[in-house]
Amino acid sequence: MVTPTKGLLSIATIAALGALAACGTASSTTSSGGTSSGIAGCKGTITVATDLPLTGGDATDGPYVEMAAKLAVTQANAQHLMGGCTLKYESKNDSTVLKDGHDPAQGEANITALAADATVVGVVGPFNSSVALAEIPVASQNHLALISPANTNPCLTVVVQVCSDPTININTASLYPGPHTYFRVIASDVQQGEIDAYVAAKVLNATKAYVIDDQEAYGRGLALLFTKAYTTTDGGTIVGSASLPGTTTSFATQVSLAQSEGAQVIFFGGTSGNGCGLVRRDMISGGLNIPMLGGDGCQDTKSITDADSGSNKSASVGMYATSAPDVSKLSSSASFYTQYASNYSSVAAPYNNAMNEPYTPYGYDAMNILLQAIHAVLVANGGQPPASSQTFRDKVVAQLRLTQYDGALGHTSFDANGDTTNTGFTLYKVASGAWTGDGTYAVDTSGNVTLKS
Amino acid sequence: MSMQSGTPEAPLAQPGPTGGGTSRALVAQDGLAPRKGQASGPLHALGPVVRVTHDAISRYFTAVIVGAIVVAILVTLKQGGFTLAGQQLKNALVLGAIYALVAIGYTMVYGIIELINFAHGDVFTAAGFFAVFISGLLHLDGLAASGFGGLLLALAIVFPLSMIAAGLVGVVIELVAYRRLRDSPRLAPLITAIGVSFFIEGVLLLVEGPDNVPTDQASWINGTAFTIGKINILWTDLFVVGMALLLMFALGEFVRRTRLGKAMRSTAQDRTAALLCGININRTISATFFIGSALAAAAAVIYSINYGDIKWNIGFHLGIIAFTAAVLGGIGNIVGAGIGGFIIGLIYVFGGSIFGGEWSESLIFAVLVLILTFRPVGLFGVEVTTRA
Repeated sequence: MVTPTKGLLSIATIAALGALAACGTASSTTSSGGTSSGIAGCKGTITVATDLPLTGGDATDGPYVEMAAKLAVTQANAQHLMGGCTLKYESKNDSTVLKDGHDPAQGEANITALAADATVVGVVGPFNSSVALAEIPVASQNHLALISPANTNPCLTVVVQVCSDPTININTASLYPGPHTYFRVIASDVQQGEIDAYVAAKVLNATKAYVIDDQEAYGRGLALLFTKAYTTTDGGTIVGSASLPGTTTSFATQVSLAQSEGAQVIFFGGTSGNGCGLVRRDMISGGLNIPMLGGDGCQDTKSITDADSGSNKSASVGMYATSAPDVSKLSSSASFYTQYASNYSSVAAPYNNAMNEPYTPYGYDAMNILLQAIHAVLVANGGQPPASSQTFRDKVVAQLRLTQYDGALGHTSFDANGDTTNTGFTLYKVASGAWTGDGTYAVDTSGNVTLKS
Repeated sequence: MSMQSGTPEAPLAQPGPTGGGTSRALVAQDGLAPRKGQASGPLHALGPVVRVTHDAISRYFTAVIVGAIVVAILVTLKQGGFTLAGQQLKNALVLGAIYALVAIGYTMVYGIIELINFAHGDVFTAAGFFAVFISGLLHLDGLAASGFGGLLLALAIVFPLSMIAAGLVGVVIELVAYRRLRDSPRLAPLITAIGVSFFIEGVLLLVEGPDNVPTDQASWINGTAFTIGKINILWTDLFVVGMALLLMFALGEFVRRTRLGKAMRSTAQDRTAALLCGININRTISATFFIGSALAAAAAVIYSINYGDIKWNIGFHLGIIAFTAAVLGGIGNIVGAGIGGFIIGLIYVFGGSIFGGEWSESLIFAVLVLILTFRPVGLFGVEVTTRA
């Protein structure tokens, strides 16, 4: 039950805190949050956690998000957001050496361990949809709130057509043996596919598309969602498609086919590690200079390096990709980036700059949303944590459903499935060897895409 | 159950486990090939109709494969006209050339010590990184860009140096992982081969990281050589295929005409007899590993110049496909491996073009199953005299 007053109060405290952190002085103890809501007498320990891939191939993504979430906890502690209660933070790593990155089995073990700790009331994570598949049932059974900063697979929360595709095959209902405790602060691939289709048809003016995917749940799912939106809503034609494993080293066969079929754009559903840039390299060396479009899995420097590794050193020009909204341009995120920079000024590069990873502010907002919910539960419960840990967790989940949060990402609230209502993707294109924003698009519930900024 | 009457290619000899007693021996006596007495294949137990069909397919297997490829090219012609068929043919030859060079390394090692050297694909990857290192150290990128003479000089430097480096790696692998196990049960060196493969991959992952590494060699050769209709034939396409054919020809001449080549052939045929004739077996086997690995290195440099990047684990996957090419050509048969590489390239590209790229690899491994069922000796397995 968040009243507008409390919502505003939260924003005010965050803002005040931001100013403090920016100055590097944490001497103030006159926190408005603690005293005014009567939780100064709160007794006990409350633990929040992150579960993210921190090592191996994911070391280029996960640590930023972890540090951003940790920053939110540090700030909450400085502000005594939980009053007299001790707020602890625990970080879990779901990367393993075996997988050289995120590992669903490790994620499941991490959530199981966190759920067994009665003081843990909520977790920010995971980063990858495949890990989420393993973690959501455990969190659900244990009534533990799980807020993902980056999962875009739609089937984690809602049943859409692609969920039954053999390569994806996700039974959404079976993910929730207990209550629905999963939330995410990023829009799903349903919206991304719709925006990609719009971009292909209306921005790149292509009526014929050739579609390639990387056979993985994310890439294949996005390709199918793109195909559906492109052929129905945007009236385009798919002239051919191929589904190739991540080990593919040459896409020359597909490029020749696309050329023969008169494709005007190639859509790649997949990650850069699975060939995004290589498709572009082979397009240019095969003489097929039409635009190439991908999703957020393509929007990184790896794609550009791969595309330019062929004989044409500017092959990457002509690559487009949608990705997490470029929030660095939002005024709401400016203070976050400053706070991150000042708090982690002593950390070695590149981790000292939050801008190096688009998902950094998502980790920050996810943790703040969790902390605000816990705070609200304490306040509503007379300043004390509920007696039983399960009641506490249930109340936090119920509180998260009511979230109306204004943070770095703009305004976030959750729909009945735990999906954010803050939907939007930025279109990026390659210009002089780097991705540059080319407009942010939003999509409404009936699939109408509009240019936001 | 004997095939003596129906098939001229049927085994005429009953070779022992370490090599044929006669020059007409089938190449693969164990492991991949049926044991003596079973040469007619497992399907024979199913009845006379199956037997007749099996024998017919077995006998005309080459015709079946060639026919399938011709049909695939015709289907592609119908589907996308001359341009698509021509482009895919070009793609297939480029891919096939690289498979062929890697397949030769597999086949040479198998021919001489009857070991499937699973580390071979990883030697390919390591050689690719050697080439990057060498061209970085000697600033060959600048040299190659300075004109045709510079390019030739750069190639004349990077090819031999990478080949020597990879060849030495191959020799060391044989020395460390296989030599002591030469007379052990067959499974033992197979396990160490997989171990060596993992070891090389692990080292490359640690040193080079998990991502594609741009080699900067794709800019060495660029531009279009000529155009047929709407098909652009790039200089790199000609380079890849030409270089592969040249190397294969050179190897063939080496094995056929030199003393060492002769020693390799005789060691492959019968190690004990070769020893009795005064051939230094260890040196000959080391030389085989050196040459096989050096060819993998040449393939890696060609790959790097064609594609422009290399990744820690590409070799294993490429190696498995090349291994299929070696089996298709008749494992142990050098010419067969070369031709098998090109055939696999054709199957990969035209299969992917007609049925969708997701079927390319399924088709290749389906072909592997078909060979092992109907013609375990491969298309050219019977020509034992050229194996090394």
